[in-house]
Amino acid sequence: MRDYWLSKLFFDLQSSPPLGAEYRADRKKILDRYPLKPEVRAAVERNDVQFLAARVNPYLLRFYFVVVGMPEAEFLSKVRKVGAESAARSSHG
Amino acid sequence: MAKLVGVFASSHAPLIIRGWNDIKPTNQEGLTRAMTEVGRRIKASRPDVLIEISPDHWVNFFIDNLPSICVGVGEEHDGPAEPWMKACPFKKIAGHPKLANHIVETALERDFEPSMSHRLTLDHGFCIPLWRGGLDPLPPIVPIIFNDLEPPLPAVRRCLQWGTMLAEAVRTYPEDIRVAIVATGGLSHSIGEPTMGEVDEPFDRECIRHFEDGDERKLVDFLNERLPTIGNGAAEIRNWVAAHGAAGKRGFELIGYCNVPEVYVGCGFASWNLAASA
Repeated sequence: MRDYWLSKLFFDLQSSPPLGAEYRADRKKILDRYPLKPEVRAAVERNDVQFLAARVNPYLLRFYFVVVGMPEAEFLSKVRKVGAESAARSSHG
Repeated sequence: MAKLVGVFASSHAPLIIRGWNDIKPTNQEGLTRAMTEVGRRIKASRPDVLIEISPDHWVNFFIDNLPSICVGVGEEHDGPAEPWMKACPFKKIAGHPKLANHIVETALERDFEPSMSHRLTLDHGFCIPLWRGGLDPLPPIVPIIFNDLEPPLPAVRRCLQWGTMLAEAVRTYPEDIRVAIVATGGLSHSIGEPTMGEVDEPFDRECIRHFEDGDERKLVDFLNERLPTIGNGAAEIRNWVAAHGAAGKRGFELIGYCNVPEVYVGCGFASWNLAASA
């Protein structure tokens, strides 16, 4: 499953370093520009890797957390706990 | 007529650039040796044009418009946009519109319908192997993007056929130029998934054996069976499969294999065997 606006947010942030900087400074301001479903926005706000992983391409997920500055060890720890095996399988070639 | 003078493969792990200082010295040496050797062989083949097959890592395309295969037909392309690729010397990269258009026309004649772009941004996937291979200045490039990232992906069998078509396009191109092909990406890796960081060396070794053997049916069967069971990054082996088809499925010589946990990738480097006349 792909959430279009979540994917668009992640795509835009990793495409534009200035936008990434703006996002790190004021996340709410940027999020207001995207018509995210309330539960999706809440997951973004709490850095819920598991919830988000089921809704975006895994590369975009990885790029997003690089942009927001999550330490690599923390991201690895969180992504490895993603239990949604079917979501992971859907990303395979 | 144009001549296919070399077919090569190289991994393109971002951390080779972004995290070089965190790589163990022995792995740095292995990567440097292999990437330099791929570059040396490309240069030794004296190509007038390079056809390069690589994925797009969400630089040119998004899910609102996502081609399975896109051929860069423009006169010029842009170098990598990733901030951590800032030191890459390739800012503007010349294309080769005539060969690129001939490839598209040949593809259409052979029941492929690729998309086209008159200006692509060539991301780290395209540029790391050329940069680290010491290919500066670059010959003109015909970039070909395969969707290796966002399922559904091109069938492995079709990637092989694409490669066969590519060799025909080179063979039938009316100008007397030398053309080399470089496929980038792979081997096993996993990005943004629960298995992120895992390298499946037994898979990589078996995959390499199939490319060495050259038996296309065994290679396709192996990949169809195994790709769904390992990390998403291995999907980029489709690019190698196209190279395999282009080279005529005569097997290849492994230049190097480096299982580098620091870059999350089982890195492979190879040169295909071509017919004696090439």
